[in-house]
Amino acid sequence: MTLFTRGDKSADKPVEVTRSDKPVETSLRPAAESIAAKPVEPQKPAAVSQPSPPPAKTGASMASVISKALKITGQLESTEDIQIDGEIEGDVRGVGVKIGQNAKVKGTVYGDEVELAGTIEGKIESKKVTLTGTARMTGDIVHQDIRIESGAYISGNLKPEFGKSEARPSLKPVASVQPAHANASAGGAAEAARH
Amino acid sequence: MLPPSVLGPGVTIQGTLEVEGELVISGTVAGHIAALRLVIASDGCVEGDVVAREVVIAGRLIGRVFAPTVSVEASADIEGRIFHTDATVAQGARIVGRMPWRPVSYFETLDQLPEIRP
Repeated sequence: MTLFTRGDKSADKPVEVTRSDKPVETSLRPAAESIAAKPVEPQKPAAVSQPSPPPAKTGASMASVISKALKITGQLESTEDIQIDGEIEGDVRGVGVKIGQNAKVKGTVYGDEVELAGTIEGKIESKKVTLTGTARMTGDIVHQDIRIESGAYISGNLKPEFGKSEARPSLKPVASVQPAHANASAGGAAEAARH
Repeated sequence: MLPPSVLGPGVTIQGTLEVEGELVISGTVAGHIAALRLVIASDGCVEGDVVAREVVIAGRLIGRVFAPTVSVEASADIEGRIFHTDATVAQGARIVGRMPWRPVSYFETLDQLPEIRP
């Protein structure tokens, strides 16, 4: 019996591989990995591996697009990748945020990955930031990893401090040590007074 | 015509949306929407007033609709008012509220939305 089921399992795997064309077999594994991380990038492998993960494919096709004609005043939050070609006045919170060449954002853009080809007046807070040659950035960029192509306009500060904001409050306890010193010195003074 | 704007299921917007084209909402929007054509997909949710030439509702809407052409799909769940000239409602749709008819001229001269009366 066990032999039988083993035979079935081993028979199943090659079937899946043969479904998705032998020559592409090597590119299948990275595709499967990258689908989990970034569903948009690997277009051809995604098409090949269609039979196995259909939800990833539909997720990619449902990616949000804010087209040229759309103007948003307010806050935008997204748990998926988003492409912005329109105009936004307000904050944008996303995972992967692509800001197209004609797009305009007034406000802070938060994300894991921000690609800017348009205009931002405000701030970028993102782990990975890419500014293309057409980017126009007015404001600070808080990042961990940045790429700037020639031609990009930046007016503001670049701060490689993304994710380190928790380190800052540690300054406050240091400052609060001083009153303790004062107390100690006061105690010392009291001691000195006793003597 | 420009490609439609799409707000996916993971998108939440609070604020005003103005589109000179088509807008498809699968996410959640709280606020005023003005578009030429608006589609609220079956997993979309809108809370607020909607002004458009044509509205297709298959999702959830809490608020008012001002559109000459309105199509309510079977999966729709609407609470509010639908001001319309020409409306279709599919069997199975849930509508809580009224559907006042207005002539087309009403929508053409609609600069400011009327106050909400109880």
